[in-house]
Amino acid sequence: MPVGPFGIDPVIWAPLRLVVAVGLALFLVLNGALLQIYLERKIQAIIQDRLGPYHVGPFGLLQTFADALKLISKEDVRAQATDGWFFVAAPALVFCPMLASWVVLPFAQDIVGANLNIGLLYLTTLGSMTVLGIVIAGWASNNKYALVGGLRSAGQLISYEIPQILALVSVALVVGSLSMIDITRSQAGPFVNVLILPFSFVIYFIAALAETNRTPFDLPEAESELVAGWLTEYSGMRWGTMLALSEYGNVTVVCAIVTTLWFGGWQGPGVDAIPLLGVLWFTLKVYAFILVMMWIRATLPRLRIDQLMSFCWKGLIPMALVNIVVVAVLALAFPTTKIPIAIASWVLLVIFVTGIPVVQRRRLRTLRARARAAAAPAVRAAS
Amino acid sequence: MTFDFVEPVVFALLSIGVIAGGVAVVMLNRITAAALLMAFTFLCMAGMFVLLGAETIAAFQVLIYVGAITVLILYGVMFTKFSDGPRALFFQRQTPLAAVFVAAVAIPVAIIALSFTSAPPRPGGGDLIALATSVFTDFAFPFEIASVLLLAAMVGAIVLTKRDDPDEAALRRRR
Repeated sequence: MPVGPFGIDPVIWAPLRLVVAVGLALFLVLNGALLQIYLERKIQAIIQDRLGPYHVGPFGLLQTFADALKLISKEDVRAQATDGWFFVAAPALVFCPMLASWVVLPFAQDIVGANLNIGLLYLTTLGSMTVLGIVIAGWASNNKYALVGGLRSAGQLISYEIPQILALVSVALVVGSLSMIDITRSQAGPFVNVLILPFSFVIYFIAALAETNRTPFDLPEAESELVAGWLTEYSGMRWGTMLALSEYGNVTVVCAIVTTLWFGGWQGPGVDAIPLLGVLWFTLKVYAFILVMMWIRATLPRLRIDQLMSFCWKGLIPMALVNIVVVAVLALAFPTTKIPIAIASWVLLVIFVTGIPVVQRRRLRTLRARARAAAAPAVRAAS
Repeated sequence: MTFDFVEPVVFALLSIGVIAGGVAVVMLNRITAAALLMAFTFLCMAGMFVLLGAETIAAFQVLIYVGAITVLILYGVMFTKFSDGPRALFFQRQTPLAAVFVAAVAIPVAIIALSFTSAPPRPGGGDLIALATSVFTDFAFPFEIASVLLLAAMVGAIVLTKRDDPDEAALRRRR
């Protein structure tokens, strides 16, 4: 009889491994959501000079557990005019791609579900599948706010996917691989990719904020205009699956991509001696980015839908294309050194950051002039 | 005991998924359900590609067809008025003609498929580099032609939809 890993028969080991992997991913997603909701509340409270949750448990740590218990024990409410199976299927359609993308996240040297050689492509693919669930949720709710929220979300996600993928391409060009493991391995030592490609990092991070519906871009669920967007008709654990688990899971996945691609993944001091230390470094880096996202949420106001779209199509996508052309040309011209790419990328970043206020100010000036010119005859007629 | 039996089983499940999904897309009266089942069919096709060792093509299949095209179709469906009553589609009267066309395509395909005697190809996995190399060397010209064609279609769509409506222009001027 053949003996597999841990002395278990391989016929049993194969399904067992699947069960263990899915169980572990679910465990991480559930706990990550609980922790992130707690962090979100506490950090917003600190920034807004409040106390945040503090009644349940020490420092309010058990508040999210209480909320989760409440959600699970809630009655399963479904409005009569909703669209049967679609309404039930939509949370699963949002949740499954998120769960599936945990397969390729490299937590440490050998702690990864599968070393796919198309890891990066796989992640973007699963990210694009979330849209389907959101559109179906908006449609099935049979509610105008939900429908508008779903359609907005579809437009936003499809648009911001383009700069996201274009930013990933520049990393693939420099590293020469799409595998998450190889990308992490290529950044041993202090020179992580963010020093070489800061501009594509900024583009990716902005697009990722839109992709996960985080605050400057959380139009699909803008409370002041759409009640709760595509989540309006959902309650109980269906709402919990959609919002708490899927959204925070997606935030974790996106931050893990940022960590792996630009900040060296599990690499850190002492990893060579103790490989398990990689899990700690990886988690710390991921949560650092999650904290930045929460900080942004507490700081920035929400965009308007036309501002959102014009920023993507007129700002991010052209700059991302310029970035790709520059990186590709320099990578071909100087195959041995990465210094020219680094210089060009920093220059592009400076141009981008200083250019936005100038362009915006000019646009505002022309808009105001046009409004004044249009208003002048009306004022004259009224007086 | 080995795992040789897994691949045919997965293949059978995926084929049932593709065929049943495709039939349901055509037969169903509810158009949203048809759109969703189309996404399911595309996913099963992606599974087939994975089974053949073409993970990259599978990823693009899901990225483009499930992530973009199905969403676009759902968008279109949602802006289309439809009633719950049964409707006869205009092409449902041509069943005999359609049967002839289907037979004309399906019978040669079936004959060719059944006449294969060589062993099935063994994919090695990892088709990314091979695919990229062939696209940018042997097939560079067709690739560029396809992209120019798509660009022309996109520009055409924009020109068609962005008409200068005289009423709207007048309204804007009044404002």
